[in-house]
Amino acid sequence: MAKLYSRRAILAQIALGAGVAGAGLPVSHAFAAQDDRPWSFFTDAEAQWIAAVADVFIPQDDFPSASQAGVVDFIDFQMATAYGAGEGLYLDPPFPSGAVPEQGYQLKFTPAQLLRQGIEQAGQLGDIATMDATARADHVEQMSERDDIVGTLIAELWKLTKQGYFADPIYLGNHDYAGWRMVGFPGAHAYYTERVDADKRSVTPPPRGIAHDRGGTPYPPRAIGGGSD
Amino acid sequence: MAPRKLPKTDVLIIGGGWTGLTAAYELTHAGQRCVVLERGKKRHTATSFGAPEEHDELKYAHRYSHMMDVKKETLTIRNNRDQQALPMRRLGSFLPGSGLGGAGIHWNGQIWRPLPSDLQMRSHYEDRYGKDFIGPELSVQDWGVTYEELEPHLDFFERICGAAGFAGNLGGEARAGGNVFEGPRSADYPNPPMRQPISNTLFGEAAARMGLNPFPMPSANVTKAYENPYGAQLHPCTYCGFCERFGCGYYAKADPIICVYDQIKDHENFEIRFDAQVLRIEKSEDGKTATGAIYLDANGEEVFQPADTICMNAYALWNVHLMLVSGLGKPYDPETRTGVVGRNYSYQTVAGVDAFFDKSVETDPYMGAGALGVVIDDYNGDNFDHSDLGFVGGGYIACKQYHGRPIGYQPVPEGTPKWGAEWKQAVRENYNHHADLVVHGSSVSTPENYLDLDPTWTDSFGRPLLRMTFDFPENDRKMSDYVMQRAMDVAREMDNVTSVSGTNNAAVDKHYDIVPYQTTHNVGGAVIGTDPETSVVNRYGQMWDHHNVFVFGACLFPQNLGYNPTGPLMGLAYWTLEHMKRDYLPNPAPLMDA
Repeated sequence: MAKLYSRRAILAQIALGAGVAGAGLPVSHAFAAQDDRPWSFFTDAEAQWIAAVADVFIPQDDFPSASQAGVVDFIDFQMATAYGAGEGLYLDPPFPSGAVPEQGYQLKFTPAQLLRQGIEQAGQLGDIATMDATARADHVEQMSERDDIVGTLIAELWKLTKQGYFADPIYLGNHDYAGWRMVGFPGAHAYYTERVDADKRSVTPPPRGIAHDRGGTPYPPRAIGGGSD
Repeated sequence: MAPRKLPKTDVLIIGGGWTGLTAAYELTHAGQRCVVLERGKKRHTATSFGAPEEHDELKYAHRYSHMMDVKKETLTIRNNRDQQALPMRRLGSFLPGSGLGGAGIHWNGQIWRPLPSDLQMRSHYEDRYGKDFIGPELSVQDWGVTYEELEPHLDFFERICGAAGFAGNLGGEARAGGNVFEGPRSADYPNPPMRQPISNTLFGEAAARMGLNPFPMPSANVTKAYENPYGAQLHPCTYCGFCERFGCGYYAKADPIICVYDQIKDHENFEIRFDAQVLRIEKSEDGKTATGAIYLDANGEEVFQPADTICMNAYALWNVHLMLVSGLGKPYDPETRTGVVGRNYSYQTVAGVDAFFDKSVETDPYMGAGALGVVIDDYNGDNFDHSDLGFVGGGYIACKQYHGRPIGYQPVPEGTPKWGAEWKQAVRENYNHHADLVVHGSSVSTPENYLDLDPTWTDSFGRPLLRMTFDFPENDRKMSDYVMQRAMDVAREMDNVTSVSGTNNAAVDKHYDIVPYQTTHNVGGAVIGTDPETSVVNRYGQMWDHHNVFVFGACLFPQNLGYNPTGPLMGLAYWTLEHMKRDYLPNPAPLMDA
């Protein structure tokens, strides 16, 4: 399946592989400079941090990791648009302490503010860029158990990572229908009246998104240094 | 500045969903000039819900584009009176709609009738099990209207929707293959049942082997080309898997726009105003009647619309909120257990069972529909002996195939890590080999579960937020666990099933949680009845305190039954409208003595 990915992403993988081979040195950031498309919301450092966490959630196997499938591009786009700005979120004060989890989100931050401030706080808990895969997984697990903005951030990122991996590619994730191919979801064009109760299952059609594009969005994920190893 | 006053209309209808548009249709044809105020936008099934754009899981199922905006109106939530209620800052547990058609646009189309005993819950249990069987901490009561009285109206609404199903009780005769527990039907469903996928079929076979009574879920996902009694044309369902949380541009899911609005919109007595946010209902000087409503129009200007008769057709919670902020009826006080507005709020007690097949069973979960299910009703209502169980109520058990939309549908067996390589592998291996069972349980009312106004937070119009105080009653925790165990028994009996796990929202160690989606079945708070001490409206849906105000929707339910509410609440709506047309409009006065 890896052959489906963009040249840039493959180059990035090769580079990362080389970095890891380099005796446990921090994963390099070499190829970020070659991707001239700016992030809409993230700084490069934030994007790398998000990629590292998202790839703990969904690592590479026969199917791409979260960042390889464009999840960081997806989250960047979400943070730069209505969702990140707090659409569908009531933020009127006050924000008293003592909330129980059953009362849901009670921070005063929009998702974009939560990500920016949460990543900054998380940075004080360890440098994920210098960790190997096992240490990264443990670090994410520990962050997720915290009863503070970092714990909330990890929960939000897990939600966004799944959305990015499986949403229609028009939102920049699920590149080349990675998520849909993995589970066998045929997408947005859906007429199954004659199939639903058929005795013999026919072959699931290849995915087509809202844009009716054979390959998913032509927009490839940005290359991210410091992502998965 | 005083609101701009408009000329008086005969009937003012607050809310343009199923009940509001139906009230407009029926009353317009009875010669009444009707004005509908809808807080949301104009939208249409033909132009707003077409595929493939509508088949956008992120936008509609997770960003809630068809739902109400909590920035404008929300509520506060707490589990008990010792907590401080805090705002529901994001939608989660339930998803009320906004815009033309209301929540009737994004429903699943599961169209049920109440059991005859559901409508007489207190007297039924007392007759069968004794006076003390319902404990003192439950405020369960009869509806004041019987199944026989509602039957013609339940039947008519099924015809409006082109409902698909198989009658289990036709004129008192039980029919195998239908729901043998249901009340007598005057006629069969207008359309044949849906085609069932393999997972639902295997569930039905297992249930039948166990001596239970499986039947196809009654569905407003239409199975044939159909014309309803108002003249609306509906088309057969495509099983596209984008039903609940989505509108249906195929015209295959009955909705209030195609089934009702299109058939009334050009009538000379009908007018609807969009972006018309009602702020409060005004009362006459003697307080005995309402005089009209003040709303914000699309330009943000305050307008007063006078009317002879007012119909409250907002979503259940917002009908109650509007009563509280307008001073209609006496608010409920849990300290003294007096007052009625906000009393007997209840919900739905939902548990889920996941059954995983071996690789030989391929379910293709993306072929789905909102009401695509096989159901057993053997553990619903009082269809089973409660003598030694220590609870009242029950629920249906359905194996359903709603959708395989991959952000939301990621079933994995118990014990799977929450993320990482093993999780990814489990999602990949189980997506196509899973049966989705639900236990859709009743919710009893109690003196401690109620709605009132929050002392701290306000909505964007400056009104106090509604405050919800709710947790699952002990009765429902027991009920839900019992019925979930029965569901797991059936799941284990299903062919090719390799593992079974259950999740109960009302488990013993859990409190009601506003975050995970459960159901948009908020009921009660303005309940129907025959005693003004324990109901807001009389058995005709007319307010005891203000005889020209009629109330519609699930806020009328004195407690929640084990079924989805749209069928029962529309039966009540047609019942109320019949009495308005026949008895009230010719002689506007209380229809019952207080």
